[in-house]
Amino acid sequence: MQSALPPIAVALSNVSKWYGKFQVLTDINLTVKRGEKIVICGPSGSGKSTMIRCINRLEGHQRGKIVVGDTELTNDLKKVDEVRRDVGMVFQHFNLFPHLTILQNCTLAPIWVRKMSRRDAEEVAMDYLQRVKIPEQAHKYPGQLSGGQQQRVAIARSLCMNPKIMLFDEPTSALDPEMVKEVLDTMVSLASDGMTMLCVTHEMGFAREVADRVIFMDAGQIVETNAPEAFFSTPQHPRSKLFLSQIL
Amino acid sequence: MTFDPEFALSILPRILSTITTTLFATIIGCMGAAALGFLWEIVRRSSKPGRYTMRFLIDFIRSTPLLVQIYFFYFVLPEYGLTLPGLVVGVLALSLYYSGYLAEVFKGGIDSIPAGQFEAAKALGLSRLQLIMFVIAPQMLRNVAAPMGNYFVSLLKATPYLAIIAVPEMLSVALEIASETFRYTEPMTVVGIIFLTLALCFSGLVKVIESRLRLSPKAG
Amino acid sequence: MSLFDIMASILVGINVTMKVTLYGMLYAVPFAFVFGVAQHFTNGIPRLIVTSIIEFWRSSPVIILIYGFYFSLPGLGINLSAMTVGAMVLGLNIGGYGSQAVRAALQALDPGQVEAGYALGFRRLRILYLIELPQALAAMTPTFINQFIQLVKGTSLVSLVTLADMTFLAKALSQIHYAPAKIYTALLIVYFLMCYPATIVGRMIERRVSRGREVSHDL
Ligand SMILES: Nc1ncnc2c1ncn2[C@@H]1O[C@H](COP(=O)(O)OP(=O)(O)O)[C@@H](O)[C@H]1O
Ligand SMILES: [Mg+2]
Repeated sequence: MQSALPPIAVALSNVSKWYGKFQVLTDINLTVKRGEKIVICGPSGSGKSTMIRCINRLEGHQRGKIVVGDTELTNDLKKVDEVRRDVGMVFQHFNLFPHLTILQNCTLAPIWVRKMSRRDAEEVAMDYLQRVKIPEQAHKYPGQLSGGQQQRVAIARSLCMNPKIMLFDEPTSALDPEMVKEVLDTMVSLASDGMTMLCVTHEMGFAREVADRVIFMDAGQIVETNAPEAFFSTPQHPRSKLFLSQIL
Repeated sequence: MTFDPEFALSILPRILSTITTTLFATIIGCMGAAALGFLWEIVRRSSKPGRYTMRFLIDFIRSTPLLVQIYFFYFVLPEYGLTLPGLVVGVLALSLYYSGYLAEVFKGGIDSIPAGQFEAAKALGLSRLQLIMFVIAPQMLRNVAAPMGNYFVSLLKATPYLAIIAVPEMLSVALEIASETFRYTEPMTVVGIIFLTLALCFSGLVKVIESRLRLSPKAG
Repeated sequence: MSLFDIMASILVGINVTMKVTLYGMLYAVPFAFVFGVAQHFTNGIPRLIVTSIIEFWRSSPVIILIYGFYFSLPGLGINLSAMTVGAMVLGLNIGGYGSQAVRAALQALDPGQVEAGYALGFRRLRILYLIELPQALAAMTPTFINQFIQLVKGTSLVSLVTLADMTFLAKALSQIHYAPAKIYTALLIVYFLMCYPATIVGRMIERRVSRGREVSHDL
């Protein structure tokens, strides 16, 4: 259900970031409406990860302004905590906690950050594990699952925090080809539920199916923003063309 | 004068009667050393001044003899009006000395946790303390079980140092018997064998725990 | 007495400290190599014997070995000076630890190295000192340096068997002048100054040996 004037989920204005002298992000401007799905692509090293990691402040930016919901990200740790509670993130290498069971992975943050009771947290977790189609693995350890299963658990773990926004950083690029689909299916179903999503991915099928906009980054800048169909068939910028010619 | 097995057997009970002190000092000392070492390591990672202060503290602890550290606490604390029982001073000194080594062990254990673990915990909104308690400490302990166990065995073998500050443990009883009977060979051999046995048993235990950890499914 | 005067009085004992260290090394280094290599080469009963000897020196508390050898050898008709007992016990204890570093470093080598040596027509001992040991040396150096520090610190134990090393002098001094805080602080500082350079060098070498895995997660 979207209202007539949808509120803004994430707004980056003139964001720049440096690692020492090296500028990773240059004047990034991006506004994501609630419920919108953005796919971000671009060559390796172009700053895609850095940009989305700035949104939950795994990285700090040095210039410009990042507003998530109605909270501006500054050095104020309380605001950072607020934002992180509402922003879920899925990593390329899953980053499940290997010493905890699947269920414990999913309940850790709800219990300690959201202060849910263990029983409620477990109930919610089982719901989400059901949704990602692995409830029967709840009492195993991450090391006993396949990559695709682990990534689905990672998605479930994020969802257990009931986030308003989900960030995905190349969630399928560490997976064996036969496992990519099960993870993408999970993401598609999440998208159809209206989740606000920013996905770094080169999966064109996924982008075509769910993205409202595709953003192409190169050398720390947003070079092109386009509708998915248009982006893949008639890219505007010469660097997008070059990039697409290389991955196709 | 040669080794008299009968005499050796006759003093065994008296020496063994203080094994509880040895075990007590070992257990409390290990717990203290691990707690302090972990604290040093956390402070070392928390800020720049913390890093330099802790690095110096750890290096200082590791670069001075345990014997001198024990003397220091035993003789200096009373000068400031703090007179503690020898056992307390001894356990304190053992904890502090081994905390320097364990801090380094923990450093290695934390460094070998992948960065993604820290990121995932932060992304989920865990606080620093929660990150340390629920994500870092358990994985670190798994990584350091073997070297930490070896330092625990070292600490056990260092408990006879307490004899020099008049704590009635096994070595001091052995020395006492020696000065009463003017026979050194038997008491020293008996106490030596007891410690050697304890040390080898604990080392064996460490090895078993290590291989268990390596085989468990959580390691994957 | 100023801290400086105290240090000067303590430093009179540095020659004993250094002598015990030096003599200790003369026991430690050969023991480490001979027994480390022996453990690497042997199997079955011989290996059990080698291991037992190593474990005796490594796993017994040094303080008990020192008291034990110093006080009971004369009773068995063996008269060794306190210096000899101290250097031998400390040295063989350190050598016991060193032998484990030698063995571990040898075992960590690619077995292909030995096979290549055979293929070139070398005999086993040649392979050991021409091919294996030179490569393994880098891996054992950090342990050796750490054990050297342990040896220097361990020499303080000879004060218990009447040798006038730095610790002994400090203790004697504190019986004349009641100033334990100053005296033991001075003693700690002197030992620190002796061992710290080795600590630094050890860390540098360790970093070089394990290069490429330098990570630090701030908390
Ligand atoms: N912690 C860091 N320190 C220094 N440079 C970094 C760091 N992380 C990333 N970079 C550099 O920043 C650039 C962008 O990295 P990243 O955002 O990971 O790119 P992408 O995800 O698009 O492949 C790369 O050139 C990378 O080498
Ligand atoms: Mg990336």
